[in-house]
Amino acid sequence: MSIRARRGRTVRWAVPAAAIAVIAGAIGAGPVIAAVQGDPALPERTAEQLLASAAQAGRAGLKPMSGTVMQTASLGLPGLPEVPGMGGSSPVALLSGSHELKVWYGGADKVRFALPGRMSETDLITNGDQVWLWQSDENRATRVKAGSGERGEEAARAHEALPTATTPQQLAQQLLRRVGADTVVSVSNTEKVADRAAYQLAFAPKDPSSLVKEVKLALDGETLVPLRVQVYARSAAEPAFEVGFTSVTFSPPAAENFTFTPPTGAKVEETSLAELLKERRPERGEGFEDAEKLKSEVGTVGEGWTTVAVIPVSEQELTGQGQGEGSSGAGIGAIGDALLKSAKPISGTWGSGKVIQTKLVSALLTDDGRLLVGAVTPEKLSEAAGRK
Amino acid sequence: MSRTPTDAGLAADVPGSRVGGPGGGSRREVPGAELSIVTSGLTKRFGSGQVAVDALDLAVPSGSVFGFLGPNGSGKTTTIRMLLGLVAPTAGEWRLLGTPMPGGVGGVLSRVGALVEGPAFYPYLSGEANLRRYDAADPSADPRTVSTRIGLALERVGLAAAAGKRYRAYSLGMRQRLAIAATLLGPRELLILDEPTNGLDPQGTREVRGLVKEIAAEGTTVFVSSHLLAEVEQMCSHVAVMRTGRLVAQGPIADLRASETVRIRVETPDVEEAAAVLAGLGLPEIRLGDGDVSAALGAGLPERVCAALVTGGVAVRGLAVQRPTLEDVFVGLTGEGFDVDG
Amino acid sequence: MSTVSGKEAVSTEKATRAVPDHDPARGRDQAMTAGQAAGGRPIPPPRAVSAPRAWLRLLGSEVGLTFRRPRNLAMLGVLTVIPVLIGIALRMFAGTGGDGTGAPMIFERITGNGLFLTFAALSLLVQLMLPVCVAVVAGDSIAGEAGIGTLRYLLAAPAGRTRLLAVKYACVVVFCLAAVTAVALSALLVGLLLFPAGPITLLSGGTIPFLDGVLRIGVVVLYVTAGMAALGAVALALSTLTEVSVGAIASTVVIVIAAQVLRAVPQLSVLQPYLLTEWWSGFDGVLRDPVAIGDMGQGLLVFAAYAAVFCSIAWARFTGKDITA
Repeated sequence: MSIRARRGRTVRWAVPAAAIAVIAGAIGAGPVIAAVQGDPALPERTAEQLLASAAQAGRAGLKPMSGTVMQTASLGLPGLPEVPGMGGSSPVALLSGSHELKVWYGGADKVRFALPGRMSETDLITNGDQVWLWQSDENRATRVKAGSGERGEEAARAHEALPTATTPQQLAQQLLRRVGADTVVSVSNTEKVADRAAYQLAFAPKDPSSLVKEVKLALDGETLVPLRVQVYARSAAEPAFEVGFTSVTFSPPAAENFTFTPPTGAKVEETSLAELLKERRPERGEGFEDAEKLKSEVGTVGEGWTTVAVIPVSEQELTGQGQGEGSSGAGIGAIGDALLKSAKPISGTWGSGKVIQTKLVSALLTDDGRLLVGAVTPEKLSEAAGRK
Repeated sequence: MSRTPTDAGLAADVPGSRVGGPGGGSRREVPGAELSIVTSGLTKRFGSGQVAVDALDLAVPSGSVFGFLGPNGSGKTTTIRMLLGLVAPTAGEWRLLGTPMPGGVGGVLSRVGALVEGPAFYPYLSGEANLRRYDAADPSADPRTVSTRIGLALERVGLAAAAGKRYRAYSLGMRQRLAIAATLLGPRELLILDEPTNGLDPQGTREVRGLVKEIAAEGTTVFVSSHLLAEVEQMCSHVAVMRTGRLVAQGPIADLRASETVRIRVETPDVEEAAAVLAGLGLPEIRLGDGDVSAALGAGLPERVCAALVTGGVAVRGLAVQRPTLEDVFVGLTGEGFDVDG
Repeated sequence: MSTVSGKEAVSTEKATRAVPDHDPARGRDQAMTAGQAAGGRPIPPPRAVSAPRAWLRLLGSEVGLTFRRPRNLAMLGVLTVIPVLIGIALRMFAGTGGDGTGAPMIFERITGNGLFLTFAALSLLVQLMLPVCVAVVAGDSIAGEAGIGTLRYLLAAPAGRTRLLAVKYACVVVFCLAAVTAVALSALLVGLLLFPAGPITLLSGGTIPFLDGVLRIGVVVLYVTAGMAALGAVALALSTLTEVSVGAIASTVVIVIAAQVLRAVPQLSVLQPYLLTEWWSGFDGVLRDPVAIGDMGQGLLVFAAYAAVFCSIAWARFTGKDITA
C-alpha cells in the first residue's frame, strides 16, 4: 500500500513535470530543431561568394516582404531611470530591453514601419510620393513634404525620422561597409532564422583590445536578404545587441498597408523631412545645428574596430544641467547622471578622469573636458587619451 | 467476546470468523461481503512520525450499530477519514460495502452517509441550500427528487421549520442536526457518524439515539464513533475499542458483557456465615468485604441463593445481582476509564 | 426525530418509498453484484444520472455559490463602478488635462469616442484590480472550503477530487468572464451615454465602423478573460497548498505585483516574454491594422501554458493530499 501510494504520488507529479517539460521544449525547440535538421540545409558557399552575392542581391533591390523584427539590447548599462514621456519610439528606449518593429515592404516606394507600444502605435508609411508619420499617442499625423531631392532618396531617408525602426538590412549595409582587413570572416550554412534556413557570416576583430568578440550576420538562404545581425561582446555568451526577424514572409503585402488617410479628429501637420528629423531627434544636443557643430569637433583615434571617438564636452553638459528644455532633454540629463554615478576614477600620463565600461562600449570623461568613446577596453581608451 | 489480536500473524482470521452480526450466520464466498467495513492492517503515520492509527483490523457487520469507542485522540477520527478516502493510509487495506478502497470511492460513497468531526456548512446559505449543495456534489444523486429528499431529511432531524434560515443563525444543536440530515439525503447502506451527539443537550442526545435505532431498523449499518461509554452502550449492538491508535477489543456488546461474570452481593453483618452458605452452594470467587460478601453467580439463580441464606440463618440486609457494565469490561481491558458522563 | 407521532410514521413511510432496497440482505446483494461487475464500479441505480449532467449540476451549484456570496458580489460591483467613475471624471474635466503631461492618450480619446472607454477601463483594470478579484475567488476556491470544513463533506459526498477541481476551475473561468464582461459592459454603457459614439480610429490610424468596434470589444473581453483564467490557475494551485484562503489570495497578489515589478526592470527584459502580466495588456492588438493576430496568439499560448502547468500542479497536489481540515 505504501509503495503503491508512493508510486501513485510519483505518477501524479509526473503530470505537471511533463507539462513543464513540453512547454520548455516548445520554447527551446527552435534552436534544437535547427541543430538537428539544419546540417545539410544549404549548399556550401565561401564567405567571399556570399558577400558578393549579397551585395548583388542588395543592388538588385529588395523583394516584397513583410515580417516582424525584434531588437534586443543587453548592453550591460547601469540602471537607467525611467524617463517619463519616452514611449517606444524614443531612441534611448533602444538601449535596453526588447523592441518590436513590424515591417511591410512592397517596393522601394511602398514601405510601412509600425512600432507597437502599449495602447499606442507609431507608423511610418511611405507610398509613392506620400510619406506619413502617424503617432497614435499624440493623435498626430504628419505629412512629409517631398523635398527638392530625388523622390526615392527622400523616401529612403524617411526612416531616419523613426530612429527605432532599425531593420537587419540597414545594419547589414553598415556592417559590410566597414569590414576590413582587421577582420576574420567565417561562414556557416546551418542557421535558422525566423523559420528559414540561413547562411551566417561571423566577423571577428583581430585586435584583442576590442570589446566586440564578433558580429554575426544571417542571410536568408534563398534570397540572401539579411535576416539577423547579432553583436557579441567578449564578456558574455548571449548577444549584447541583436536585430533580427522573428517572422518573415517573402510575398507582397496587402495594398491597404500602404494607404493612409488621417483619421477624423487627428492633428494633421505638414513638414519637410529636414524639419521632421530636427524635431524628432532633439536628443542630439540643443538642436540640429548644435549637432552639426558637434560633428565637426569630433576627432577619432585609431581605425576599424578599435576606433575611438574624442568629443570635447564637460560634465555639466553631459548631465544636462541648465538645459532642461522639454522632457527628452531632461531625460538625457537623467541618463547622463545615472551613468556618471557608476563611473570609476582613472588616471594616466594624460591626467585623470572617470571611466564607464559596458559590455560593448567604454567611455572616458577626462577632467580636461574630453569624452572618449569606443568599443574598446578602458586601457585602450586611456592610451588614446594619451595620444591627444 | 473477541479480543482483536494486534499482531499481524493473527490479523487474517478476524473478518467473518469471530464476528457474527444479525443474520450473520450465512457465510459467503466473497470475503467481507457481509461486512460493511473491513480493514486490515490500516495504519496512518503522519509526517511528524506520530502514529495516529496502528495496524487497525476492523470488521463491522452489515446491519449492526457499531460503536467505535475511544478517548479523544485515540485515532477514531483519523480512522474515519481513512475509511472515507480523505486521508491516505500509510499501510493497510480496507473495503467499504464489499468494495476495495480507495479505488471504489466514487461508486461506494454515494451509498454511505458520513458525519466527520462536527458539522461544516456555508454560513451565508440556508440549511436547505446547504443540503442542496452537498447533494449536487454526489454524482449519483437525482436532481429531480432533490427537494423531496431534502424535505424528508430535514423532517427526520426536526429542522423542517428552520430550513430557510441561514446556517449562520443556527444553534450548535441545530448545526449538528443539519449535519445528520446531510447524511440522510439518499438511500444509504452505511452511516458513519463521528461523535453525533456532540454539542447536543440531553433531549437532543436522546433524539439522536432514537434516530440511529430507527435508521438501523431500516437495515442500514451505522458506525458511530464516541468517547462516551454510556452512549455506545445504549445505542450499539457491536463495539470496538481504540486506545492510542490501537484496537484493543471488538465484538458484539453482549459477548463483551458475557466475558465478565455476573456476581451476587449479599449485605449482611454475618459475613463469615454468608460466605459459608455461598460456598456451600458451589459459587466460586467468593470475596469478603466489610459488611458484605460477593460471589460469581454464574448460572445460579438468585432466588435459590436467597432461600439458602435465609435457611442458613444469615441476617440479610440486602441482596443484589451485579451485571457488569461495559465500563467494568473496558476498565478490565484497557486499564483506564472513559468519560462516563457527557 | 423530535416527535414520535403519526407525522413520523408518515415520514418513515415516505422514506421507505425513497429507499427501495432498505432490506439489508437485498442491499448487500446489490452491493456484492455491483462489486463484481466491471472491476468494482457499481451498477448504476435505475434513476441513473449521466456524468456530464451531474458535472453540470455541480458546476451550477458552484457558480451559484460564487455569485451568491456577498463578498464576490461586492467585488463585481466595484469593478462595474470604476468605469462609471472614469467616465464621469473625464466628462467633467474633459480638455483640462490634455496638455501633454504624459497621461496616456487613450484617456483623451474617450472624449471623442465613447467606445474607447471600454479599452481604457480594461487596460487600467487589467493591471491590478481584475487580477486581485480573480485571486480572491480562485485562491479561496479550495482553501476556503478546507478552511470552513466543507471540503471533507464535498469529498465524502463523493464529489471526486478531479471532478471537484475541474468544477472549481470552470467556475473560476466563469467568474473571470463575468468580471471582465461587467467592466466592459459598464464601460460601454457609460461611454455611449456620456460621449459621442461613431467609427473608431485604430491605433494604426485606420478607421473601422462602430459595430465592428463593438465586435472587437467582444474579442478583447475573451482575450482578457483568458489572461485572467491563467492567473486563476496559479491561484487555484496555491489554493490547494494551504487551508488558509487568505494565504493563497495574498501570495497570488504578491506574485502579480512581483511580476509587474520585474516587467519594469529593463535589465530583466529577458524574462518579460515569460511573465503572465506582460501579455495581459496585449489585447491592444485588436486596435491595430491589420489586427495583431500573431502577438495575441502568442499571448493566448502563454495563458494556455500557464493554465496547463498550474492546473496540473493543482491536480497533482489536490488528488494526493490528506484532507485533515
